[in-house]
Amino acid sequence: MTNDQCPIKTMIKTVNLSKVYRTDEVETTALNNVDIDIKQGEFVSVMGPSGCGKSTLLNVLGMIDSPSSGDYFFNEQEVGKLAERKRSDVRKHNLGFVFQSFNLIDELTVYENVELPMLYTKVPANERKKRVEELLEGMNIMHRKNHFPQQLSGGQQQRVAVARAVVNKPKLILADEPTGNLDSSNGDEVMKILADLNATGTTILMVTHSQYCAEFGNRIIRMLDGQVVAENVVKRYL
Amino acid sequence: MQIKFILRSMSKNKVFTGINILGLTVGIAAVLLIYRVVSYELSFNKNFQHYDRIVRVVATSNDDGTGQNYSVCVPVPAGEMLTTDIPQFEKKSRVKETWNTLTVANPNGGAPLKKFNISDDHTAFFAESDFCEMFDLKWLSGDATASLSEPNTIVLTRNWATKCFGNWEDAIGKTLLIDNIYPVTVKGVFEELPSNCDFNFPFLISYATLKGKENYFYVGDGDWDSCSSNNQVYAQLSDPNQKAAAEAAVAKVGEKEYVNKKTGQRLRWHHLQPLSELHFDERYNNSGTHVIPKSRLQLLSAIGLLILILACFNFINLATAQASLRAKEVGVRKTLGSGRGQLVRQFMSETGFVVAIAMLLGVGLANLTAPLLSYVSDVPKSLPFLSNPMVWAFLGVTGIVVTVLAGLYPSLTLAGFQPVKALRSNAEKSLTGGAGLRKSLVVMQFVIAQCLIIGAIVTILQLDYIRTSDLGFKKDLVYTFGFGSDSLSIGRQAVLRHALQQIPNVQSASLSSDQPSSTNTWSSNFRFANRPEDEPYSTTLKFADENYEATYGIKMLAGRWLAAADTMREAIINHTMLTKLGLHDPNEAIGQIFHLWGSRDLRIVGVSDDFHTHSLRHEHMPLVITNDKQFLWEAGVKIRPDNLAATTAAIKAAFDEVMPEQVFEGKFLDEKIAAFYEDDRRLSATCKGFGLLAVLISCLGLFGLATHSAQQRVKEIGVRKVLGATTSGIVALLSKDFLLLVVLSLLIAAPLTYWLMGKWLQNFEFHVKMQWWVFVLTGVLALTVAFLTVSFQSIKAALANPVKSLRSE
Repeated sequence: MTNDQCPIKTMIKTVNLSKVYRTDEVETTALNNVDIDIKQGEFVSVMGPSGCGKSTLLNVLGMIDSPSSGDYFFNEQEVGKLAERKRSDVRKHNLGFVFQSFNLIDELTVYENVELPMLYTKVPANERKKRVEELLEGMNIMHRKNHFPQQLSGGQQQRVAVARAVVNKPKLILADEPTGNLDSSNGDEVMKILADLNATGTTILMVTHSQYCAEFGNRIIRMLDGQVVAENVVKRYL
Repeated sequence: MQIKFILRSMSKNKVFTGINILGLTVGIAAVLLIYRVVSYELSFNKNFQHYDRIVRVVATSNDDGTGQNYSVCVPVPAGEMLTTDIPQFEKKSRVKETWNTLTVANPNGGAPLKKFNISDDHTAFFAESDFCEMFDLKWLSGDATASLSEPNTIVLTRNWATKCFGNWEDAIGKTLLIDNIYPVTVKGVFEELPSNCDFNFPFLISYATLKGKENYFYVGDGDWDSCSSNNQVYAQLSDPNQKAAAEAAVAKVGEKEYVNKKTGQRLRWHHLQPLSELHFDERYNNSGTHVIPKSRLQLLSAIGLLILILACFNFINLATAQASLRAKEVGVRKTLGSGRGQLVRQFMSETGFVVAIAMLLGVGLANLTAPLLSYVSDVPKSLPFLSNPMVWAFLGVTGIVVTVLAGLYPSLTLAGFQPVKALRSNAEKSLTGGAGLRKSLVVMQFVIAQCLIIGAIVTILQLDYIRTSDLGFKKDLVYTFGFGSDSLSIGRQAVLRHALQQIPNVQSASLSSDQPSSTNTWSSNFRFANRPEDEPYSTTLKFADENYEATYGIKMLAGRWLAAADTMREAIINHTMLTKLGLHDPNEAIGQIFHLWGSRDLRIVGVSDDFHTHSLRHEHMPLVITNDKQFLWEAGVKIRPDNLAATTAAIKAAFDEVMPEQVFEGKFLDEKIAAFYEDDRRLSATCKGFGLLAVLISCLGLFGLATHSAQQRVKEIGVRKVLGATTSGIVALLSKDFLLLVVLSLLIAAPLTYWLMGKWLQNFEFHVKMQWWVFVLTGVLALTVAFLTVSFQSIKAALANPVKSLRSE
């Protein structure tokens, strides 16, 4: 996965990244001076107890939420303070999302759900068709392409969601508990797909409760009360 | 993909889609129908080439001491001056309105070959040749200058030429008789004028024909004081900018003559009324079918707009109430790269699609219901509707406006969701905002609906009051018809009356100038008894025979009715006259002399109780009734209720026998009186019809919101039931909030309509009082309908098995 000729570039770098939620009475610090560094091609898992800020971190790094303070560099560009329109632009060309609850649009078929991100990046129609069909074949759900999400099993839905996440060939995939709603065999299948994607060069940042899933990655970041408390490299014994 | 997506989304929410489409369909149909009426009325007279330059000379006066009076009449000498002395008038014509019978004479003598009356809603003219040019008559044969410049000539519309001669091409040079007396030669045939103009003359007779026949045609005796509203002047300005100069010149006409000789105070002024105002200014009558004030058109437009807005409110309410259900979609789309603008466009196009469907259905509904417009307007059924491109242009604009009005707020709200919030599992609750807005819109809907209902009830009450109120005479079972006033007809009056009285079911028959209640007004100054001067107010006049009291059931306060006579010798005065004369006891008036027209001294033989001489809009006016057979041209026949058809047929037969050259047109008096209130009946029908639509649309919206509310509270209802709540308790819980909104809207609608309808009732001198129960009844009606609407959902929710609802959560 490393390249001897080229230095490995940093994809994500945060400096003192914080996120504070304020209501009239309460101030909650979801992220507290988080500094992380993720290189291109890494598969990083984020673990920690509920409410420790994992999902907030994922949302901020995924640019669907903005930090309260600190810096966030994506491919060496500061993106934490970008306007919504610009963030949206960076997001749609570089990122793919996989959610625990799949978040497929119920009124769109499998095919249409996978095609949707390419409509926003203005991919030509024939190219769209080619890519959707390739992915659905690859995920083994081509026969379900005209079905609606509710007509699929959880595992099938998550495979569609993964297909949708990768269809624009993103540089980074953000996965929020991708196996949380799946049984173990479907969960395994989704993790294998993510590992395969990582093997082909896609960077992956995954939030999970499961140590088993976390170990599909090559580094684990542990969080507690909005802070990164530990990092360890996953060792694989062949 | 977009349309497929919209269709799927619509079919997923069938109830809400149905409510939106139905409401908008009804709203769009209502607006289209109102557009048809309003655009028709606004198009009046615009077809004339010199629309912006044509004027009519009108008059304001305060000569009877009752304040400002408005009239279209121009005294004969003023007419002459106006057509010679105003340099800004490029073309001008005196006209005299007329409703004569036209007959095609039988060359062998005897009854005419054909005879035609002008129907009530048409008016012919004596006119000068400029008139034809001003109003762009399209000649099929003949022309203006040749046609109306000589006396005893007539020009006819194509229809009337065809009616008279079988083929209009045969008409030129032929002779027709006016009232079977005066021959006129046909000099021209012209195309009918369009229906949307205030002139519907079947023929024009040259003005010069009147010369020497002034008495027969009541032209007036040439003095500045006598005036008939049939005598008018039209002119065309050489330049529209000359109006002010022409107005100043016209104001000078009569400056020496229209003055009170004692005080030197000016009593009357002439003004110019632009042709563009002819159809809308109620102060002056016109020669067309109707005058409609612009305020009425504004009211109609406002009602149409309100109905459409009600439907848009439903859309906004349901869309914002359901916004949370689409939160996930917004979150996903935004995460995948959709911008806010793209989402707004998406939601707007969804709205546009629903509006487009509603427009198609609305067009169908409007087309289907267009014939119903005759209940509320004069729009001819033959007027092109959907083939008129302007209707489609209007529809297009309406579609855009409705899409923006209904769709913009929900679209902006939905597209404004932050993806991070929208994707949270509890997004549905945190994003369902706008409850205050929805409540306000429901209140506004019910304010509008209840205003229309209260309006409808008040108009119904007033119309009922008019129908049942004591007019001071008996209007039922009196069959009326008109007849000629030429010397031949005057000679046959006694024969006609006798023939009518011989009919078995006829109780009595009377001949008069007009019925007790009519739209005619004869008025004159007068002097009473030995008083040295004329009274400072005018009297109204009626001419009647000795049977008038019995036929119409006039109540006498003192003295007796008029004795049979051919000329003016005796007089009856009414109670208002008695009071105005300063007398208290009716008997004081009996035997006094009433000096009329300078030379007529009438002995007062009776005092009648007041009866309504006009519609109930007018107060009682001083009245004198006298007998002079040259002014009798209306018959009233009191008949028994048995076998009405045979009796009316016998009346016609008697008329045809006595006056074979005249055309018989009979009508019951109560129908004629009802026609006074046609405008009011239309207003009532408008309020009723659109009030029902407003209630329907508002209830549709309420039904949608109740459905949404019941869906949202499924878990709460389940928990409450498990804890022991009763079905009625849950129904009350779910219905209470909505019903409170209806009560609140009544509190707004009641004072608003109390004020508005109070103003409308002020139009009537005699009217009902606003009753408290009208508002209570409206409130009860609205609450009942709202409760039935809401309770359907509430009861359904209350009866649901709690186990099921809790499990589904």
